[in-house]
Amino acid sequence: MAFLDVLMLGFSEAFTPTNLFFCFVGALLGTLIGVLPGIGPTATVAILLPVTFFLPPLGALIMLAGIFYGAQYGGSTTAILVNLPGEASAVVTAIDGYQMARKGRAGAALAIAALGSFFAGTVATIGLAVAGPTLSSFALSFGPAEYVSLCIFGLLAATILAHGSVIKAIGMVCLGLVLGMVGIDVNSGSTRLTFGSTELYDGIDFVVIAVGLFGVAEIASNLEFKEARGVLQSTIGRLWPTKQEFKESWGAVLRGTGVGTILGVLPGGGATLSAFSAYSVEKKISKTPEKFGHGAIAGVAGPEAANNAGAQSSFIPLLTLGIPSNSIMAMMLGAMTIHGITPGPSVIQNQPELFWGLVASMWIGNAMLLVINLPLIGVWVRLLKVPYRLLYPAILLFCCIGVYSVNNRGFDVALVILFGVLGYVLRKAKCEAGPLLLGFVLGPLLETNLRRALLLSQGDPLVFVERPISAVLLLITAGMLLTLILPAIRKGRKEAFEASED
Amino acid sequence: MTHCKIKFAFAAAVFAASASYAHAEWPNDRPIQMIVAFAPGGSTDVMARAIEPFLEKELGADIVIENRPGASGEIAYTALSKAKPDGYTFSYINTPGYLSMQVQRKLGYDPKTIKPIVRIVDDPTAIVVPAASEIKTLKDFVDAAKAKPGAVSYGSSGVGTDDHLAIILLGAATGTTFTHIPFSGAGETRTAILGSQVSGGGLNISEFAGNDTSGLRMIAHFGTDRSPQLPDVPTAKEQGFDVEMTSERGIAAPRELSDEITQKFGEAMKKVLDNPEFQKQAKQLALPLAYLSGPDWEKQMPDRLARFQKIWNETPWVK
Repeated sequence: MAFLDVLMLGFSEAFTPTNLFFCFVGALLGTLIGVLPGIGPTATVAILLPVTFFLPPLGALIMLAGIFYGAQYGGSTTAILVNLPGEASAVVTAIDGYQMARKGRAGAALAIAALGSFFAGTVATIGLAVAGPTLSSFALSFGPAEYVSLCIFGLLAATILAHGSVIKAIGMVCLGLVLGMVGIDVNSGSTRLTFGSTELYDGIDFVVIAVGLFGVAEIASNLEFKEARGVLQSTIGRLWPTKQEFKESWGAVLRGTGVGTILGVLPGGGATLSAFSAYSVEKKISKTPEKFGHGAIAGVAGPEAANNAGAQSSFIPLLTLGIPSNSIMAMMLGAMTIHGITPGPSVIQNQPELFWGLVASMWIGNAMLLVINLPLIGVWVRLLKVPYRLLYPAILLFCCIGVYSVNNRGFDVALVILFGVLGYVLRKAKCEAGPLLLGFVLGPLLETNLRRALLLSQGDPLVFVERPISAVLLLITAGMLLTLILPAIRKGRKEAFEASED
Repeated sequence: MTHCKIKFAFAAAVFAASASYAHAEWPNDRPIQMIVAFAPGGSTDVMARAIEPFLEKELGADIVIENRPGASGEIAYTALSKAKPDGYTFSYINTPGYLSMQVQRKLGYDPKTIKPIVRIVDDPTAIVVPAASEIKTLKDFVDAAKAKPGAVSYGSSGVGTDDHLAIILLGAATGTTFTHIPFSGAGETRTAILGSQVSGGGLNISEFAGNDTSGLRMIAHFGTDRSPQLPDVPTAKEQGFDVEMTSERGIAAPRELSDEITQKFGEAMKKVLDNPEFQKQAKQLALPLAYLSGPDWEKQMPDRLARFQKIWNETPWVK
């Protein structure tokens, strides 16, 4: 069978001692840096990118991929243990994961996250191997109109996802949209909301907002408690999940894997949208939605599986079309170009050992992560058991370094402090930062695609319902809106949240 | 060796080291900083990193690449204009951005404070359509737009980029209107063309040939002559449209940099560009190498600037 042949080729490439070594070093380094709060996969890959320039092409790619999913997983660890998501995709993990940690079930949350990620990684890797070329043509049929509908869907999902008042959630989404507008307008080239500062011409960096709103604000609100809260006030607890926890999470892992694999393929989609979507799916179909936000294990399992599946499948457009779907993929593209490899369908044909070697190494890397993370959780935790008064200046420092390293600009660090204050105020006002972040991420995508779609249709708004994929997405959105508005259901939602607030 | 002697030797070594540090001649005092005005992984960045080891060898110096992305390069160029002219700070500059920016907005730096040292590539802008498109020549492209005004859409990698300026010029030369759809970078433009979301789009020769080209067709490019990378693609001029547009990349330094260092650096760069090893790598990256000395390059700039000013006066691309 041809498929088995190429897979064999891939494994024989990836199983050489040197490549195994690169894979291991990458996953370990990625986890190590990813565990440091405030430094997400983007910053980690950026920092370690130069290291790989001296390696042979396949070794470099394998190591970078290892760094990427190591950091991705390390980010989830900090999200669960100290409520500091390293990247947007781990924001939803923090919601329930941190609550589990506060209840002494951190071990189970970490184990489920690791097992769910491994399972999702395995499925997505097989997906990449089997359906890569086919799926990429599906991704191509996503034009501006489809993106508009997808963004509207995502934003509405964000308000449903929010904990508490819908009005506040919508307000947060709008604030996110406004923040996303800062910078040079792509269509006219004029500057918006920059107040004459060239530093703002390119808008506000995602990392700045995430670290400020989540990292700094978390530290600030922790300081209200006199050392009593510490970083991690309880033990990790038993690592292996209980039977009940397994029962509650396996379905979520399956659904998260599905959601992530599909959404990860879309250029611009990736891990974040996957995680958010998976969370709202879980909350929607759960028999006990009131548990969400208070340590529901399905709320960890679903998004964790989804973000890992999304992270893996975002390699599909890069490897089959040469199109990076996010900033990390852009860096992978740069690394490939440095080594004289041109990503695109020709890679699969002309350099099959490279493509299949990378695919096989992804699976090996995911297995290694399991090995690195589960037995070593103790080590990572010890890193977090340092007293808070010692740890928080260090975390702040790492946040600053991480933010500075993205653009090498002191201005970004100043902005982080500003967003830290904003995040603290929002917490006090019981406004969630999650919808704001999603509004910020999806806003520019929504705006540019809306304008592109209307330019292409020469002003005819019917384009959104004439194109089938877009029409289906809008239909689903309308359905969601209806459930939100219908009095009976709205009451049910309110009760659910009130019950959960107790 | 006695204890005292060791101490003395150590002190002497330290002194010698510090002395040699203080008196080190350019370029060995400290690493040379090369600013790249775009993000890591972009075409300018990739080129800079390909040049780095060769230039280090020619100069016998350490080079550090620093990415200062933002505001189409203005942030990097402002940093360059404020840098000490001691030969330890250089920056890559790109036209038309470097020039057209001066036309469209008030800048944070004075272009007179920047001195071009060497031009490295001259990369023609080109029009690319999906391989399945019925448009085969530039004439087809223009005729389609004439037949149904507004129906022909053209993706570019942003407002004020060479792709955008090229289509403005083509529109002015033929009296047609194209629906301009700005994307944020060549990667997005490629996707849109591949997926037939737009009728066609602007890519540079290196952006086209340096990547996988299946599913795409280049119908014309706006260089002066045919490109050695793609000898089969006719220029716009050959097809009867008098439009020229290229994107140049080179290196610049603060204006006050001494003539001696300017010359040494320029000569080292010339040697890099003549190095067959480097040329092999440039071929892989599909870089249309086009060496030009700093003074020669600068001589061309007022002419180009005037052309951009003229386009701006007729059809300002930023409102």
